[in-house]
Amino acid sequence: MSVLQVENLTKDYGSGRGVFDVTFNVERGEVFGFLGPNGAGKTTTIRHIMGFSKPQEGVTYVEGMNSWLEPAKIQRDLGYLPGEIALPEALTGTQFIKMMADLRGLQNMTHTGELIAKFELEPAGGLKRMSLGMKRKLAIVTAFMHDPQVLVLDEPTSGLDPLMQDMFIEFIKEEKARGKTILLSSHIFSEVDATCDRIAIIKEGRLISTFVADDLRHSSSKTFKLEFNSKDEFERFRSEIEETQKLEVVSVKRHRNQAKVQVEDADVNGLFAIISGYDLKFFSEIKFTLEDYFMKFYDRTGSEGGANYAAN
Amino acid sequence: MFSKPILKQTLKANYKLWLIFTGILCVMSVMTISVFDPKMMSTMMEMLKDTPMAEMAGDKLDSMTTLLGMLSQNFYGMLAVILPMIFIIIAANSLIAAQVDRGSMAYLLSTPTKRGAVVRTQAAFLISSVFCMFLVVTVVGLSCVQLVHKGLWGEKFTPDAVAVSRILDLDEAEIGDNLSLILKNEEALQAGADARQIDPDVYLVYLNQKMTIKAYDAAAAALGKDAEEITKNPALLLQSPEALAAAAKVMGVPAEAYGAQLTAAIEQQGAMAAQSMELQNKMAAGISAAAEVLDVEASDLVNSMGKIKASKEALTAAATASGLPEENILGMINSQLAADELAYDDGIVFSVRDYLMLNLGAFLLMFAISGISFMFSCIFNLSKNSLALGAGLPIAFFVFQIMAQISDSLEGFKYLSLITLFDAGAVVSGGSFGVQFAVLGAVGVVLYAIGMNAFCKKDLPL
Repeated sequence: MSVLQVENLTKDYGSGRGVFDVTFNVERGEVFGFLGPNGAGKTTTIRHIMGFSKPQEGVTYVEGMNSWLEPAKIQRDLGYLPGEIALPEALTGTQFIKMMADLRGLQNMTHTGELIAKFELEPAGGLKRMSLGMKRKLAIVTAFMHDPQVLVLDEPTSGLDPLMQDMFIEFIKEEKARGKTILLSSHIFSEVDATCDRIAIIKEGRLISTFVADDLRHSSSKTFKLEFNSKDEFERFRSEIEETQKLEVVSVKRHRNQAKVQVEDADVNGLFAIISGYDLKFFSEIKFTLEDYFMKFYDRTGSEGGANYAAN
Repeated sequence: MFSKPILKQTLKANYKLWLIFTGILCVMSVMTISVFDPKMMSTMMEMLKDTPMAEMAGDKLDSMTTLLGMLSQNFYGMLAVILPMIFIIIAANSLIAAQVDRGSMAYLLSTPTKRGAVVRTQAAFLISSVFCMFLVVTVVGLSCVQLVHKGLWGEKFTPDAVAVSRILDLDEAEIGDNLSLILKNEEALQAGADARQIDPDVYLVYLNQKMTIKAYDAAAAALGKDAEEITKNPALLLQSPEALAAAAKVMGVPAEAYGAQLTAAIEQQGAMAAQSMELQNKMAAGISAAAEVLDVEASDLVNSMGKIKASKEALTAAATASGLPEENILGMINSQLAADELAYDDGIVFSVRDYLMLNLGAFLLMFAISGISFMFSCIFNLSKNSLALGAGLPIAFFVFQIMAQISDSLEGFKYLSLITLFDAGAVVSGGSFGVQFAVLGAVGVVLYAIGMNAFCKKDLPL
């Protein structure tokens, strides 16, 4: 059984906002990346998983328990890091940690102490005067303090300095190694790329792609950039390609005599056979990243193709 | 059921606000109670009687002459409503809506705490904070009455009763029941007058008036009628031997003698009433003449006729101008001064029960008002919406209440205000208020229930 189940979740906030028919599962021990820009519906989905909102249609389960019907039960072994850090201002950091421990019925504070040391948290001051980064660390500590098996993290690294971001990514990897199930919502490609086993891309409230991250990393198709030494060479290459259709040209930059071609690994010898007859200035592989993949979905909204040529 | 950690946090977040409002309320209560002086109040009300202000205040002026009456109009009609209301508006919003709006509610709900436990804890805090506010105000108020006006616990004794008790070697309660004893003892009469700082002849008139009131009360009790009815028509007394006996006992004379005395008094009263118009005109002329001699305004003198008595010249002038004998004028002055003393006696009467009822009523009103604010705080996710109704409605009630009081033509507004259900005047003047109190309590319970239910069922944008 999947740890997190989102089935046909629909919540229409009107004027196109909300989530529509979203379905995905997160398996035990998996880090699941939930990728999308602001307002795409990431937080709305998480809101339903946490049991804060009632689905219009569909249902969400945590460890087999219905989120809306048993919200208090699902929280026992779940750690939640909200996207917006809004801590109760009347307290100090220490009081807040104490309150969260009391609310969770947590007696043993050794793990909490370790987390505080790990994230270099100084919780003594009032929450009102704390920096955003410090508040974020405090929220991280309270989300992990009871060592939960399931973690729902909504944009966890925003507000952290780059060093802390790296440390947090390492921390997520450690937790994953300890068998934790993690849902990580983010719009930062590097952290999703670095941690996630599977990734879902959400756009305007709909899941548009769910894929295994390794497939993307070890894609069988590669993109190369070529620059020709002269305009003539460049034009000759273009006309040959147009005639033979042997290569797929993704984009061209006429004023620089550059072309980008996409080749399947199996056809890579054919590529060399063709370009050996031309006077080249340079030849390089363009690494295909998660960002490119993501942009592919988002760029095609406005002007098909045109945007592709404008890129780079 | 409730969540202790949340209660702890709520207390930490709100205790300062509570202390400030409770503190201000206590200070205002102490000030209102301390400055009260029944003699001064009755003089002031007398002065105000014919001014436009009196018209505006309506029949409230009469009740202002007692401490509870003044408290009910002044403190419980105004400050004890608006101050707790502001506290409630701020607290109710911060307890639920503001935490949802800011997002900090997410932390509470990301623990195994049920929504029901969160909202019940917050509701319990709001209700008990308002209750404790009035509890503190009540205790402080009672202590202040005790300190400033004395004799709150048990019967209250006037200074003359204390002075006389020493001379007659009786305790104050016995004196109160047998005022006629003072009349029979020269020394006691002098001591009583001194204690009240008035002339013995004024004191004599005062005692007679006081005894008459008590006699009528006793007779009314014997007849099973209202004391007011007897006061209007003392002849009723003569028809019942028991009533007459009861009254005579208070006056300290045999029943037959009192009967004769009363018959004569009733006749005399009739005669006086017949020529009262003429008498008043004569008296007015006399007062004007005296005012000229004393070089004060005649209208001022009407309220302080003691001045005429103090000046031989003024008295002579008044007698000459009015054509009445000096004794008559003196008699009238004495009876006015005695009436002041009676008003003073009334002013210091303080019913602990009525005072507790005032506070209970104010609490129930605030319970209902807090129900409004809390309900909207539960229903809305945005502070601004929660405040628009949760603060707007109570404030509108307050404004309607004031409008209804200001002018008769706006009186209809009182039906639009929940505050009308807490009629402080009715509480202290023996009016009915039980049903209204019950309605306030019921309104509060229903509103809290609706709010808690709404919070448990709604979508939270966390």
